Amino acid sequence: MLFTLFKKDMTLFLKDKKAVLLTFILPILLITLFAFAFGGTGKKKSNPRTYTVLVTDLDQSDSSKETIKQLENLKGLTLINKNLQKGKDLVKKGERLALLVFEKGFSEGIKKTHFFKTTLYFDASREIETRMIYSFLMQHLSQNQGKEILKNRVNSFVSNTFSGMPPKMKQNIINTISSENNASPIQIEMQSVMKEKSTKENIGLIQAVVGTAIMMLLFSIANIGGSLLDEKENGTLKRLLYAPFKTTEILFGKMLTALSISIAQLVVMFIFSWLAFGLNIFKDVPALLLMILCTAFAVAGFGIFLVSFVKTRQQLNGFSSLIILTMSAIGGSMIPLFIMPEFMQKMAVVSLNYWGIQGFYDIFWRELSIIEIAPRMLVLLGIGLVMTLISIPLFKKNIISL
Amino acid sequence: MIKVDQLTKSFGKIKAVNGISFNINKGEIYGLLGPNGAGKSTTINMLSSLFKPDSGTIHLNNTDLFSETNSCKKIIGIVPQEISLYDELSAEENLFFFGKIYGIPTKKLKNKIHDLLEFIGLSGRKKDAIKTYSGGMKRRINIAAALLHEPKILFLDEPTVGVDPQSRNRIFEIVERLKSEGLTIIYTTHYMEEVERLCDRIAIIDEGKIVGQGTLEELKKMIGEKEIVELDFATSDKEKIEELKTILPFEAEITNNKLAIKCDKNKDLKEVLNLVSKLNLSIADIDFVAPNLERVFLHLTGKELRD
Repeated sequence: MLFTLFKKDMTLFLKDKKAVLLTFILPILLITLFAFAFGGTGKKKSNPRTYTVLVTDLDQSDSSKETIKQLENLKGLTLINKNLQKGKDLVKKGERLALLVFEKGFSEGIKKTHFFKTTLYFDASREIETRMIYSFLMQHLSQNQGKEILKNRVNSFVSNTFSGMPPKMKQNIINTISSENNASPIQIEMQSVMKEKSTKENIGLIQAVVGTAIMMLLFSIANIGGSLLDEKENGTLKRLLYAPFKTTEILFGKMLTALSISIAQLVVMFIFSWLAFGLNIFKDVPALLLMILCTAFAVAGFGIFLVSFVKTRQQLNGFSSLIILTMSAIGGSMIPLFIMPEFMQKMAVVSLNYWGIQGFYDIFWRELSIIEIAPRMLVLLGIGLVMTLISIPLFKKNIISL
Repeated sequence: MIKVDQLTKSFGKIKAVNGISFNINKGEIYGLLGPNGAGKSTTINMLSSLFKPDSGTIHLNNTDLFSETNSCKKIIGIVPQEISLYDELSAEENLFFFGKIYGIPTKKLKNKIHDLLEFIGLSGRKKDAIKTYSGGMKRRINIAAALLHEPKILFLDEPTVGVDPQSRNRIFEIVERLKSEGLTIIYTTHYMEEVERLCDRIAIIDEGKIVGQGTLEELKKMIGEKEIVELDFATSDKEKIEELKTILPFEAEITNNKLAIKCDKNKDLKEVLNLVSKLNLSIADIDFVAPNLERVFLHLTGKELRD
């Protein structure tokens, strides 16, 4: 009897291809995503991570050019030349991690003052990554320019202090001291591109609030969209179709509901974060409201796309879990983007979560103006619009065909 | 009021409706009688514009349904087979919503809801959620939801499925009253007694085709005025029963273990019984049935309605 019951259940399970898919494919997909996100790929020794850093050469000397050339040849580092203002803007908008600036007088500094005049401008929301780059740069610059600077410095000191020292003895002293790395003269000044007060904001709180808010919003909207399938199953959709209006109005009516609830949900979540955790949501209220509207529109569009794509509640539950968890994993809702490898960060742009999270970062962290945030808002509106347009034929095909 | 001409509809290889035609006059109740899967609901779905027919035309109140769908939708009310109501909402809230989607002004709608709830005998429960209603009560609200916009034509698709006899009677009373108010009604069912009680004309539908239509009397005439003598045999020897059918000088039909013979029971029964004894068949039961719709259905389709 036990075996008969087991056999019946297995047969039913295997006949439900979507259940099989979700049982095995969803966990495999998530494991794969998290494995990439955390940079582990099994027994094989993983390749060192590659960082892309903007570089500005204000000195334009042979020394600065030579140093940049040496850095360009380093494995694990990609340099992109940008002018100072453009470079700072890109870092400020979160589009690039850091900008290494060879300040004017860099060459003179090495020769005369023995000071390595460079500044590393960074996005404070990605401090961990920036520290890694800093260490990386320090390690390589110390090995190359560091020794040269030290030699110059010791030479200058010995020549001035012990002017009568025999050249051979002087050379021995210089070589001995400069071979010791523990007194590296390399100094890279680190400077955040954010306003001073911003850096005092809790970046973890922002990540927790916006990451979670968008992921949970997607789940609730999928559920609201699902009520359309419930209406199909309990027959009320049929009654709506009897009425003298266009079938697409039913879809748009549901979208309006999803949009209103999305807005309300985001507003409530931000107010709660302000009251409970002290998140300053009043930095730029118009920008915040616009961003909420754009995110809600994108999510509502996504919700009706999901519901139009499937035919039953069961299918919706499966597909929404699969798609929302995947988007949340790659888009930065579950794991902050800065700890992911660069290719994962690039991949994040396909996720709705990414645009929403970065938009709210722009407001709370980067403190960008509405104009500067507008491109992200437009992308969110575009996502909502495209999803809605795709949903219309799918809705007619999958939902209206009773 | 309703003119249907050569309507066909297929789903893949299955021909659900196969060239049906009928005309219904204003104020008439027209019954579509047939077993499950005969094509009744598909016909209703085409009449309500949910399905587009593969071929054929539908005219409602002299208007082509598929060229002026929205204006046709305004004059029809549809009571679907399922209880198409929101369980969590009250009767009043459900009716208000379904009235609003027809664009009825609020004040007029509230009055209409009040009248309809009185009419169906549920005004005392108007504030209760539908999920607390009995099956019969839900059916009545289901009907009321189709009447809010005062349609001229009403489609009732198996409105008594799953209800108790008392509620069924209430539904019959509602339908009769709607007829008296001049509504044109199409009533689909697989219950003979419902069409016999309610319908002015009946179409018998089987396997997507109308196999016979007319008033109840006209349909009965199809099988003649004579009574049916129904013999139930104690034996299951089909060959002998078949042989009896062949040698009988009367029209007869075999169903299961029974032989239905169209003859005069006073004049012809003796001859029938002689032939039965000649073939050594023993009779378990004998019944005399007046011509009825069930007989008509059997005659036209070769099967019983409940098959």
